[in-house]
Amino acid sequence: MTGARPSAPVSAVADDLVISGAHVLNPASGLDGVMDVRLSAGRVAEVGKDLRGTRHLDADGLHLFPGFVDVHAHWRTPGREDEETIVTGSAAAAAGGFTSVVMMPNTDPVVDSPVVVSGLVRRVEKESRVRAYVSAALHQGLKGERLTEMRLLKEAGAFCVSDDGLGTQSAGVLRNGMLYAKSAGLPVILHCEDHTLATGVVHDGIAAALVGVPGSPGSAEDVATATALVLAVETGAKIHVTHVSSSVSAALVGFFKALPGADVTADTTPHHLTLTDDLIRQLEGLYRVNPPLRPEEDRLGVGDALAGGILDFVATDHAPHAASKKELPLEEAAPGFLGHETAFPALYTELVQSGKLSLSRLVEAMASAPGRWVRVDAYGISQGAPADLALVDLSEEWTVRADLLVSRSSNSPYLGRRLKGRIVGTVVGGEMVYDGMGAKFEARA
Amino acid sequence: MQARDFLTLEGVSREELREVLEVAKVHAAGLAGGYDGLSLHGRTVCLAFFEASTRTAVSFELAARRAGADVISISEKGSAIEKGESLIDTVVTLDALGADAIVIRHPSAGAAQLAACHAEAAVVNAGDGCGQHPTQALLDLYALSKAVGGFDELAGRRAAIVGDVLHSRVARSVIPAFQAAGMELALVAPDTLLPSETGAWGLPILPSVDDALDWGADVLYALRLQNERMTSRSPLVPSVAEYTRYYGVERRHLKPGVLGMHPGPVNRGVEIAGDVVLSDSSLIPAQVASGVAVRSAVLALAVGAVRKEATA
Repeated sequence: MTGARPSAPVSAVADDLVISGAHVLNPASGLDGVMDVRLSAGRVAEVGKDLRGTRHLDADGLHLFPGFVDVHAHWRTPGREDEETIVTGSAAAAAGGFTSVVMMPNTDPVVDSPVVVSGLVRRVEKESRVRAYVSAALHQGLKGERLTEMRLLKEAGAFCVSDDGLGTQSAGVLRNGMLYAKSAGLPVILHCEDHTLATGVVHDGIAAALVGVPGSPGSAEDVATATALVLAVETGAKIHVTHVSSSVSAALVGFFKALPGADVTADTTPHHLTLTDDLIRQLEGLYRVNPPLRPEEDRLGVGDALAGGILDFVATDHAPHAASKKELPLEEAAPGFLGHETAFPALYTELVQSGKLSLSRLVEAMASAPGRWVRVDAYGISQGAPADLALVDLSEEWTVRADLLVSRSSNSPYLGRRLKGRIVGTVVGGEMVYDGMGAKFEARA
Repeated sequence: MQARDFLTLEGVSREELREVLEVAKVHAAGLAGGYDGLSLHGRTVCLAFFEASTRTAVSFELAARRAGADVISISEKGSAIEKGESLIDTVVTLDALGADAIVIRHPSAGAAQLAACHAEAAVVNAGDGCGQHPTQALLDLYALSKAVGGFDELAGRRAAIVGDVLHSRVARSVIPAFQAAGMELALVAPDTLLPSETGAWGLPILPSVDDALDWGADVLYALRLQNERMTSRSPLVPSVAEYTRYYGVERRHLKPGVLGMHPGPVNRGVEIAGDVVLSDSSLIPAQVASGVAVRSAVLALAVGAVRKEATA
């Protein structure tokens, strides 16, 4: 992890920093008010009033949240560094307030061997601004056939395994994968999609019917989600269902996670919470994504499931693509959206401002809950927790433009949209890794 | 004398085990010892092997012949089974021809028990599907008893059963037999090679052979991993490299006092390292060598040729 280290005065406790005057929101502890936070040795040392430190950052009028955690990102490394790298992906994450990210394994080569995992782990240490965790593949080549060497992958530094991008088509193969992952002590992130149903490129709804683009029914996700959840409960494996995009799938998650023996969590994405398949009527390849944007009923259903905790958290499925793969008809375009930099502003604007979701639940869904999933130790703004923080200006409005994005690609579905809320600072392990305000650190006696 | 079937070791008692091992010892020594009528002279033993076998078939045949029995062997190939004769009809035919004991090897669990229901002759299970392989576990105990200084020395010792428990008839006989002998057991396998109900036997499940040694294993009992478990379209184990790393018995595991066992046939370099198979810490040759005496004893007990002398 690199990133600009704040210039600090020479002192016995040089990395002692007080962020003062911010409205601190830490859903895990119920903390919600103007406070000072003192950081020391990479951790939160103290939360309270009138704290003193060797350095001081005036955050008056800003909000301070635990750093956001994204368990689903494609940094396209190795293989498509023209679309994203660890340097640019982690910079985009930091610019979005994310302090921890899980990198998906559908790269070229696929992250399915210990040597690729250890190579990535080494590169992350050197190149990433934020904490980055390597997800290895559940099956070799993501082909849904042969298991990967999960125990050796774990020793090489893999954090979890996933079949993301394709899903596992055979229930029997998936079951073995879950059993083996359980033995290896690795959580499994599941992409639920039945290829016998997912034959189209957009949601099979009114918009698809009107524009004549081949649709995939919601059942393509729901059937695979049901299968995965049945197997998760039966095997007792630690399963995370990613990018839940339909009301039915969300309800299935709610049903199965309540069963005894279930170790199930699930996320949905900012775009499924804020956008609908109405956008495909523009016939722009940009709006192709998998799972596809769904009708308003699904958007609302998924939003309710997130508000009620059935869906545990938000993950962006940050999926950069070269312009040449997006400036195409829907049927030829690559599926996927950028996610890191717009996640919080889009959700704050569409859900919190409209009163559908509390700010506290949003921060829990972007930080506390996924933070608990990736880290076993305390996560949040409380004494002893890692100093991973996001400083946000909730009052600032901005328009999403390609030239403002830090990511190496620019396939954001929010281009041209006016969003409220801007990340102004991101701190990882006590270091400022994104500075959107020209932060001044004042030495204090 | 009534025929006595040897179908399963599920529920076997310590005394039953002791009896078989005592009789086997007498056979091995070629003495009448405390038993008389050990000879199978004039008895007919039929070996009905519905599945390929080398060591078990040969060892049963030797066991029967050395004890003086007439031996008939039928296998699937070249018999009426090939024409579609059912298991029951085959058994009834052998029975009607006057077999005293039918030794059966079959690819389906429960085949021996089904045969026993339709035969007057004693039925000895020589391995049925993933069910039971009683004589394997008995010869294992014979070899192990000898190595540790007697049957009573087994009590309290710890054995880790390593590998493909799910598909192993050997494990399903070894577990109750070793437990009845007073041993403590643990299983070492990934969840893909264990039954869904991993707690079926109430045994601890350990993640590697190294963990088994930490647990205090005196015996590392490696099970055969069939190649198709690794090479099929959807294998249960990712690779030989990963399997051997966690579940392979290596020379470094066999510290003084730790014994390696394997029912054969061995995949050298997979479940057990090649240099371990014939090492001093390996009981594998002793296991094979115990087969004849133990199976002679089982056949003798099965047909009622063993009478314990009244004098003690």
